[in-house]
Amino acid sequence: MRYGMALDYKNCINCRACEVACKEENGVELGARKHRIWVGVKEVEGEWPNINIASSTFEPSQCQQCENAPCQEVCPTQATHYAPGGIVMVDASKCILCTYCMVACPYDARYVNDRTETVDKCTFCSDTRLARGETTTACQATCPTKVRTFGDLDDPESEISQLLNVRDHFTLKAHLGTKPKLFYLI
Amino acid sequence: MEVEISRRRFLQGSVALTIIGGTALSASNLFSDKKETGEFRVTTKTELSKAKHVPFLCGMCVNKCAGYARVESEGKYKGIVTKLDPNPYFPKSRNMLCPRGNAGIQTLYDPDRLKYPLVRIGERGDGKYKRVSWDEAYEAILNGTDKFPGILKILDEEKDNRATIGYCNGEGLSKAGFEDLMMQKIGSPNYVDEISICLETTLGGYFSTIGTYGEADMNNADYLIIAGANRAEAIITPDTQDMFKRSERRGLKTIVLDPRFTNTAAKADRWYAVNPGTDLAFVLAMTYVVMKEELYDKDFVSKYAVGFEDYKKHILSHNYTPQWAEKLTNIPAKEIYKTAREFMAAQSPIYYQGRRSVFVKNDFQLRRAMAIFQGLSGNLDKKGGIIYGKKLALPKEDINAPLYAQAKSRFDTDGIALTGNKSGSWIVFRNMILEGKNPYPVRAMFMRKHNPMSGVPNTAKTVEFLKKMDLNVMIDILPSDTTMYCDVILPEASYLERTSPAASYGLLEPAIVQRKASIKPMFETKTPEVIYKELAQKLSRPLWENTKKYDEDVQADIKGMKPKEIQKYYKENGFDLADAWDKPVEEQNKERVVKTYGEKAWKILDEKGVFYPNMEKYHKKLNPNEYEYYPENKKNYTTQKGKLKVVMNFKNLTKKGVDSMPTWYDDMAFKVPEGKFRLVTGRHAQFTQSATTNNMMLRDLIPTNYVWINKRVAKRKGIEFADMVEVKSRVGKIHLKAYPTEKIAPNQIFLLHGFGGSSKEMHMAYGNGGSDAIIIIDEIEPVYGAAAMNETNVEIRKV
Repeated sequence: MRYGMALDYKNCINCRACEVACKEENGVELGARKHRIWVGVKEVEGEWPNINIASSTFEPSQCQQCENAPCQEVCPTQATHYAPGGIVMVDASKCILCTYCMVACPYDARYVNDRTETVDKCTFCSDTRLARGETTTACQATCPTKVRTFGDLDDPESEISQLLNVRDHFTLKAHLGTKPKLFYLI
Repeated sequence: MEVEISRRRFLQGSVALTIIGGTALSASNLFSDKKETGEFRVTTKTELSKAKHVPFLCGMCVNKCAGYARVESEGKYKGIVTKLDPNPYFPKSRNMLCPRGNAGIQTLYDPDRLKYPLVRIGERGDGKYKRVSWDEAYEAILNGTDKFPGILKILDEEKDNRATIGYCNGEGLSKAGFEDLMMQKIGSPNYVDEISICLETTLGGYFSTIGTYGEADMNNADYLIIAGANRAEAIITPDTQDMFKRSERRGLKTIVLDPRFTNTAAKADRWYAVNPGTDLAFVLAMTYVVMKEELYDKDFVSKYAVGFEDYKKHILSHNYTPQWAEKLTNIPAKEIYKTAREFMAAQSPIYYQGRRSVFVKNDFQLRRAMAIFQGLSGNLDKKGGIIYGKKLALPKEDINAPLYAQAKSRFDTDGIALTGNKSGSWIVFRNMILEGKNPYPVRAMFMRKHNPMSGVPNTAKTVEFLKKMDLNVMIDILPSDTTMYCDVILPEASYLERTSPAASYGLLEPAIVQRKASIKPMFETKTPEVIYKELAQKLSRPLWENTKKYDEDVQADIKGMKPKEIQKYYKENGFDLADAWDKPVEEQNKERVVKTYGEKAWKILDEKGVFYPNMEKYHKKLNPNEYEYYPENKKNYTTQKGKLKVVMNFKNLTKKGVDSMPTWYDDMAFKVPEGKFRLVTGRHAQFTQSATTNNMMLRDLIPTNYVWINKRVAKRKGIEFADMVEVKSRVGKIHLKAYPTEKIAPNQIFLLHGFGGSSKEMHMAYGNGGSDAIIIIDEIEPVYGAAAMNETNVEIRKV
């Protein structure tokens, strides 16, 4: 079992339903720095009325659930670890808030959770929805334009495996060798 | 507050409109858990233990998406709604909830909610109220207090002229019930609602031209012109969902016209920065190309067009050429030629009907021109076009409405060609009263779920209007700006605390839906239908006595009757105002559904929140995200056999002084005096008007509204990102922060609607940003008197 997510990112309209669903499901605190997931936007290029439409993209992102996670590598207490399904998780009882993981993460995907006093991150809803036997993450379930497909990469019959078989895709900062399990569909 | 420029690696440049400070809240909340965090807490992690999943219809905006509320059954959050999830059975909302839908929990548990009935003890607007019981509140409405008169005294003084009570109402599933109470039962014709500050001309223009507003079949269209509507940020389902799965060169070629570069424009194949208010010139010029080059669907036009030759002659003789339109619209002539030709060459082209406020005075004729243009393509009542579809019947019992001989008729007709049947023009109604042009006194306003101070242009006039009333009553869930000018405030249960009247939605894939209460009404709030009933019970007898005193028809009818007979007359003729609510909503829903669709249908609806015939057979999961609701051959693509027509020359309109065919006049040209800016207003996916600006979760996404100003202009004026600026029109001024960007023209500014609240009781919304209603001038379009929102020129300066 190896969980991953495919993102049909061209569908994204930057409505941020996923951010709210994630915060409500997982009890993420409010505040601009307390995000497990987000939609990346850029200022447009060009001068009105000649805007470069292609320069305005919405890129949904979150922890890339790397197979070679730099955050796991640098964690001095093994708080950050690989849970079943390859999900990168944090053990709150071991985290000492040294924030090495925040520095090491090339995707800027980790934040300080003041409630649990850990450097927290996306868990693929594994301690809420997956633990209840549900098969989608909160962000996937709520998405208006259905950007996200979560599933088991080791199961050739899963929707995500099928999608990755037939659709071109890329991963973010592939050159770093982190082997992300988030796949952006082209 | 610290402005965050670049939070994530994706966030490049200075566009990130997020501000730190979301956690630094002082309010207390049901979830406030100081022990755990030492800080304010809003969100609640869902539990692993058992929970109920109650079907609801979202109440955060007009769209009505279906969902399930997760109510924890055990543990420390027992009885608490911890999560809202999409309902995969509703074809209209297609298994999704937007950010507002997800944030509905924070409206339910908003610490600022109205919790108890309140009666004013101070002056209007000073916020001094007394907590009272429900009966005391109803009593204050009936008989007043030492601060204000009650409805009985007013109606006595006005000799039972029911029209002296005006009323207004916001959109929603309980809207019809309030109309039943105020119009049918209490008998006032003076009704204003959201329609005249919303899309009245769109509905009117489309209905009068093609007989429907219809549904754009975005799933099967291959060419889309979307002008002024912003489906990425003003989400309407299924349009938004279907459209953006196929935009960006994936089957749906998308042409966007908008003065500013919106998130919809970001998804377009081409974006035209059209001058505000000149879309009509664009459509007329495209029509010119189509007529001149005979690109229209000749077979379709010969069968269904009414007045085609007249219209062709009209367009060609006026010489509405693309060259002519280029100067007016800021869209190059060659682009207009190209777009018109592409549109007519496409298999399934749609000129999107749009769904937005009226922007400028020519909006009715613009909608007519758009509908006609769609008709010229022949792409109506078929797959990939504008669908007429079918609704599922859901009959409702008639209201036994009494007749009041003393009730006068409505008067808000100043400057309007076609007066609305049911609700009138907010601006005309308000302004005529302020100018003393009302033929009889209007002395009370009964309001529900409506905030005219934020919604109706020229807030200063709305305040004056509210102050002029002898009695203002409000039913709402939050202490809005308008609420603070009311004498009696009745706290309503929010949408997650009430079962609402069942409703029928959708045309292509219709369904019946029911919102069920997830939890009981909190505090001392009550559901709207219970409030209508109890208020009706309180008013019924005393108002009947007043009617008997002044109403000569009633006096003649009951002359010589014995008390028992009079009682019978009272009942039979509907003077018992509460009889419309004899049965609770739950019971009415069941009866209505069982009567038309049977017991099994009711069981499905009650359990799943959605029902349509053959749902169990038709509803299929296609993949983890998508469902099929109806098989392809059961969708209502074509329903108008023999009924279809496209009215190009609508001759009868001239009798009302309205052009029978869309015509351009020179005074429609876009003009902004040197040094000024045209204000354009709009929406965002994270907010619904003023109703959601107190929602902490949404506030976390968009902390305030910024005024968009062209980057080069801002630089010249020395305005930088987040600088405080003053925006001033001839009716008011506001202060808010600046967002310099190239997404807007040098002579225009944009700001998000709904912010800048004045009610101090809404702690998140109060004073946050600027309210566009304060500065928008109260101009109306001439057909229905709908507010024209983008007709205001403003000045802007750094403060």
